[in-house]
Order: sequence, then structure tokens, then C-alpha cells
Amino acid sequence: MKRREFFKTGVMAGVALSLNFDGLQAALDSNATALETAPDLVAVMGGEPEAMLDKALETLGGIGKYIKKGQKVVIKPNVGWDRTPELAGNTNPLLIKALVKRCLSAGASKVTVFDHTCDDWLKCYKSSGIEAAVKEAGGIMLPGNDEKYYKSVAIPQGVKIKEAKIHEALLEADAWINVPILKNHGGAKFSCAMKNLMGIVWDRRVFHSNDLQQCIADLCTWQKKPVLNIVDAYRMMHQNGPQGKSAADVATIRSLLASPDIVAIDTAALGLFNQVKKLDMASVGHIGKGASLKLGTTELSTLNIKRIKL
Amino acid sequence: MRVFLAILFFAPILLYFVDFATVLPQGIHSLLHVQMIPAILSGAVGIIVLQFVIALFFGRIYCSVLCPAGVFQDMINRVFCLGKKKSKGVRRFSYHKPPNIFRYGMLGLVLLSLLSGLTTLVVWFDPYSNFGRIAANLFRPVVMWGNNLLADVLMRMENYSLYHVTIHTVTWAGLFSAALILLVLLVLTVFRGRLFCNTLCPVGTLLSLVSRYAFFRITFKEQLCNRCGNCERSCKAEAIDSKRMKVDASRCVACFNCTSSCTKQSLGYRFAPFPGVGKTTESRRKFFATGAGIAASLPVVSALASSVESSPVVGSSPRAPQLPVTPPGSMNLERFKDQCTACHLCVVRCPTQVLRPAGLQFGFDYLLRPYCAFKSSYCNYECTVCGDVCPVQAIQRLTKEEKRTTQVGIATFHIDRCIVYTEGTDCGACSEHCPTQAVHMTPYEGTLTIPQVEPALCIGCGGCESICPVNPLRAILVVANEEHQQVAPPEEEEVEEIKIDNFGF
Repeated sequence: MKRREFFKTGVMAGVALSLNFDGLQAALDSNATALETAPDLVAVMGGEPEAMLDKALETLGGIGKYIKKGQKVVIKPNVGWDRTPELAGNTNPLLIKALVKRCLSAGASKVTVFDHTCDDWLKCYKSSGIEAAVKEAGGIMLPGNDEKYYKSVAIPQGVKIKEAKIHEALLEADAWINVPILKNHGGAKFSCAMKNLMGIVWDRRVFHSNDLQQCIADLCTWQKKPVLNIVDAYRMMHQNGPQGKSAADVATIRSLLASPDIVAIDTAALGLFNQVKKLDMASVGHIGKGASLKLGTTELSTLNIKRIKL
Repeated sequence: MRVFLAILFFAPILLYFVDFATVLPQGIHSLLHVQMIPAILSGAVGIIVLQFVIALFFGRIYCSVLCPAGVFQDMINRVFCLGKKKSKGVRRFSYHKPPNIFRYGMLGLVLLSLLSGLTTLVVWFDPYSNFGRIAANLFRPVVMWGNNLLADVLMRMENYSLYHVTIHTVTWAGLFSAALILLVLLVLTVFRGRLFCNTLCPVGTLLSLVSRYAFFRITFKEQLCNRCGNCERSCKAEAIDSKRMKVDASRCVACFNCTSSCTKQSLGYRFAPFPGVGKTTESRRKFFATGAGIAASLPVVSALASSVESSPVVGSSPRAPQLPVTPPGSMNLERFKDQCTACHLCVVRCPTQVLRPAGLQFGFDYLLRPYCAFKSSYCNYECTVCGDVCPVQAIQRLTKEEKRTTQVGIATFHIDRCIVYTEGTDCGACSEHCPTQAVHMTPYEGTLTIPQVEPALCIGCGGCESICPVNPLRAILVVANEEHQQVAPPEEEEVEEIKIDNFGF
């Protein structure tokens, strides 16, 4: 009798747990968009970072599609350089601030932000405005300055690299969002979503000495992929990247892209970049190599893309 | 009161040296400018005179309050005395005759070495720099390890207020020099109290020349003394002869242990100028002569020392196989060698930990001086901390603008080792890290680009060398400028208004 009761309860609980009301919730939240199929990529132009983020998320079907209640979330911006936001060396702090808030309001149990910086990490976190932004939004800024924080993981699909030491925050996370800034890059020619992953690993010299372009693509095959990529192109460094020298390297183009497809978003971002400076797809080797590794597609015509001007 | 004052000076200095997270205000370094040897080397005549005046009025207060090495010896002494009987602990000392020949000989040698522009001896005997090395190379790493352990524990409890720090700045030379002086201080303190201060220390001996005439000094009231000898046994300076009821004011470091040990109120710190009643005139004459002599000579010494230091030595100094890249603000190698006392304050304050104490790789005369180690770090473009804190001004203060145009060395590119050349793949790590784009990428084969150096833009920050993935010998190396140069300030480029209307895809 008791045993039967126990099983009954157990089964009932299981059924209850497996029910998923997220779709219903999203449909209720935005009647209009729920009727269409969600786009593969959204591009927004002409607004402030927060407004463009909200428009993009709404178009994609709401943040709840990517971040679930109770999840530990990591946001990975580019905080590589001791540069102020105006010089566009790092992801826009206003975008990060808004995104941390959206994740928390989607029910994330914890939102952490980090980068393995190039310049002194304390200066980068401060000058970029990102540390302050994250704290104001209620997130946690994690250090990434010591090898201690990085754990070795296998990258079985990698061509050149088969393992890498990745920040433990990502290893523990339930979901992570990749938030690069679009810019010119002396080494990789172009830095965007795929290149931004180099900030999750400890030893980058290995990348540079073993075919940088292939290694970038290899790292993106790591099994825990970002649930979403959001490209900050509010200000874009079109020359002297990735550090930049002055404001003359920056074009303010007030744009933002969002897509779960890391290859597609980089392809699109390259198109946007070409509006300001000429850059061949062929010289940005890692995008094509990413497509070969089946990380996504460079054929934007096969995708459902939403282009929105605010 | 004495102990309180001593702690007031010692604690901030110690904390400043071990504070790896720059929690403390930057201004604390001004406490170090009152240190005697730094004052002499930087030509701070006002401070030197002030120290002598204080010593003339009150004795060697300096040694028990201002000098971190002195206070540190007192701390060793206190720890040693813990749980010991008085006779084995606080009252274990006995009177010794002053080692005059030795101490004045030492002082003479050190002053001579200062005058001849060789700071080598000063490096080894300056109490402040010695203390600095102990704090920087021994205490600081211990504090950092402690922090790391604590940070790990807190991290496990989801607390991120502390973070892990990596220790790059401790080199074998630094560690060895610190351990050596720590050992010397430990042994001397345990067996002979403040013997260091009255033999090896040039500052102690210099001040003793004046403090022997101190207006306020420890004196006996002979009628009250019962000749118990407590004062003699409690004198760390071994300067009290209780049988003859004499106190050697030249060696007294004004710690007042004797006055508290005296149960009869015979010993006291009293106004007693020009002692020796019978020989007043002679003594007074001698006092004025010595006083005037010292007062006259010190600014000269100081001026001479700084003139020697600031004149770039021309000619053929025997060259070490490789030149060190000296910190921005040090102007030129010879000047820096002559002026730096290797206190390692810049080493501990450098936010990127690029400054490290040299071993013998640049020759004996650069031993323990800081150099830019570009192997895993580089000099931050906007940073001027080392010059801001240097108490000796061996590294001169630079504004941010001056720093950005000071060329301490020049990057040299070796294509035969470069990844782009040897592997035929993209790299560009060096150019990425170049703040002035002196190292920039130029078209090479196919879609590849390869670095090129524009020496007129390079400031030698080492960003390129530090990140170059080629091992063990990097493909881009900074070659030191023996004399620092100025490069043109970065050109103001016109900011074009760029507007786009299309997504481009």
C-alpha cells in the first residue's frame, strides 16, 4: 500500500516536473512574434545598446528561450584592454549591464561575467566600465587573472588543439552568452564572436603558434556552446585593432546582432564591417574553418534573418 | 609612547610593501622620503638637516621610530624575549666599548662609495633598503600565499571578494639577499641587540656624530643609583656602563628600556646639554667644530653625490653581455646604477609585475636592481607608478604624457623565428599588444600578414616580446636603450564621421 502510494507520488511529481510552460509563457508575453517562426539571426541598427538588445531579444522570442529559471549563467564580453568604452576596445558596458539584468529577470540564479584580459586585469575591468556595470546590474564580476581558475577540458573535434584550459565559471555554468565587440584585429584580421572565445582559455600562445585561424575554429567546437551570441557593434574599431590607438580608429555605427549560430553571426558581422573597411572573407580564415567543422553556416541566404532599423 | 610612534611609522611602511592589491593609498610612499639614505641620494637637503637637528636635540629617535629596520630589530627582540626570564630575555645585554674604528671606517667607506658614484656598498648597508628587500621578497610572498589560500576557501563559499594573485616578482637574487640580511639581523639582535645599528649601519653612525651632543639624553642621578645594573643589562645598544654611571649617547637609540628598568628613578631622559662639567669649554668647542663641519659637509656630499649621478658616464664602462631595460624615468643605465639602492619598492608596486630584481645576468654592479622582465609581462602604457613611489628618485617622476613618449628600448624583429615565416600561418600577437602600433602587420604571402617594427614609434614597453609565442627565444625582443630616448607623441588623427545605412548582408 505504502509502496504503491510512493510510486504514484513519484510518477506524478515526474510528470509535473517534465511539463514545460516556457513556450506558453513566451506566447503570452509576445503574441505577435510567437505566431511567426523565430528568426535565426536578428540585426538591429540605429538605437542605444539597451534598446537594441531588447528589440533583438524580443524578435528572437524572448530571453526566456535561452535562459531558464534557476540557471547559473555566464556572460563573456571582451574586456581585453585597458581602454575606455569610447575607444571600442571592449564590449559596451551598457549592453552588458542590460543583459545581466535581463538574465536575472529571466530567473537566473546567478550571473557571472569574466574575461581573460590582455592588459592588467584590474585596469581592464575598471577602464572598460564593465566591472561597475555588472555590479550595478546585480551580477558578479569574476577574476580570470590566474591559471588556477582554469581547468583542462577535451576538445575532441579540434583539428589542431585537442584540449584547452577553460575558466571554471564556464565549466560550472548551465548556460552562457557570448558578447563580443566587433573589431579589426592585427593577428586574426577580424575579431567577433568566434575570436571572443580566446578569452575563455588560459594559454593563448599555443593558439598563436599552431595556426591561429584553425585554433579559433577548433575552440568553438567545445561541446558547451554559447546559447546565444550577441555582437556589440555600437562602436566599431575599424583599424589598429584589437587595442586601437585613438578615437580615429572608431566608427559609431549603432548596431547589434544576435544569433545562436556563431558562424552565421560572424559572417553577418563581416558584412557590416565591410560597410566601413574592406576585408575579405578569405583572410578571416576562422569563419570558413568554423563552417567546415559544422559550427554553423556562412550561407546567410539559407537563414531566416530579421533586419530592424530603430 | 615610543612604541606607539614606532608602530605609527612602521606599520604603514610594512603594509605598503606587502599590499599587493593596492588597497592602501598611494601617498604612503612619502613616509619613505624621510629615510636618511634616500634623502641623501635624492639631494633632499631639508630632510637631512631636519634629521640632524632632531638628533641634536633628542638623540637617535630616528633609529627607534623612523627606521623600519630598527623597529624591525626591536620586534625580533620582543619575540625573542617572549616567555623568557628577564635575565635571559630583556636583561641579557652587557656594556661593550664602542667599536669606533670599525663603525667610522664603515661610514667612511659608504660615504666614499656614495661620492664615487658607486652605490654598491649603500645597497648592502642602507637599513631602509635592506628592510625593503626583506618585506618585498619574504613577507610579501607569504601574505600573497595566505591571500590565495583564503581566496580559495571563500570562492568555495561563493564569496568573490578576494582573488588569486600570481607571484612573479620574487627572484633568486632577491630572495637570497633578503634571507641573508634577515639572518644577520636575527643573529645580531639575539646575541648583541642593536649591534647592526652601531657597526654596519651608515645612518646610525652618521647620526651618532651628532647625537653624542644631544641636548636631551639619558643621564644618571648618581645619588639615587644603587648600582643594580638593570639598566646596563636592558640596553640593546650596549651603551650603558652602570659601574661608571656613563651612557654613551652616540650609541643610544633612544628606546627608553633603561629608564623603565630603573627602580630608583636614577636614570632619566633629561635636558643635559654639553656634558662633562670639567671640560665644558673643550667639549663645547669640539661640539661646535664637529657640528659645523657636518652641517657644512652634508649638502656638499649630497650635491656631489647627485652631480656624480646625473652626469652620464661617457666612455668605455666594461659592458655586461646584455643590457637591462631600466624602468621609464631612470634616464640612463649609469645614472640608475649609481642612484638605485635596490629597496624594491618599485618592484612591489608595479601593477604588471614587470619589474624584477636582477641577479648577476647584467653584471655585479646591477645586482638586485630592478629591470623590466618582458618574459611574461610588460610595462603598462599609461602607468607611472614606479617613478611616483621611488624614494631615491632613481626613477624620476614622469607625467603620463612623458611616460608615453619615453623610449626605454627598441623592439627588434627576427623574421627567421617568426611563426608567420616558419609555419605559414597567421599570428600577429606582437602587433596586438603594441600600444603605439610601432609593431604593425604588413602584407605577406597570400592573405598572411607579418610584423614590421617602426623604431621611431616604439617605446620598448615589451608588450610584443611578452606575448610572442615562439620559444625559447622569442621572435621579437626589446633591446635596451643605455640612454633613454624621447619619441614623438602619437599623432592626433582626425576623427572622421562614419555613417552607414545598410547592414551589408
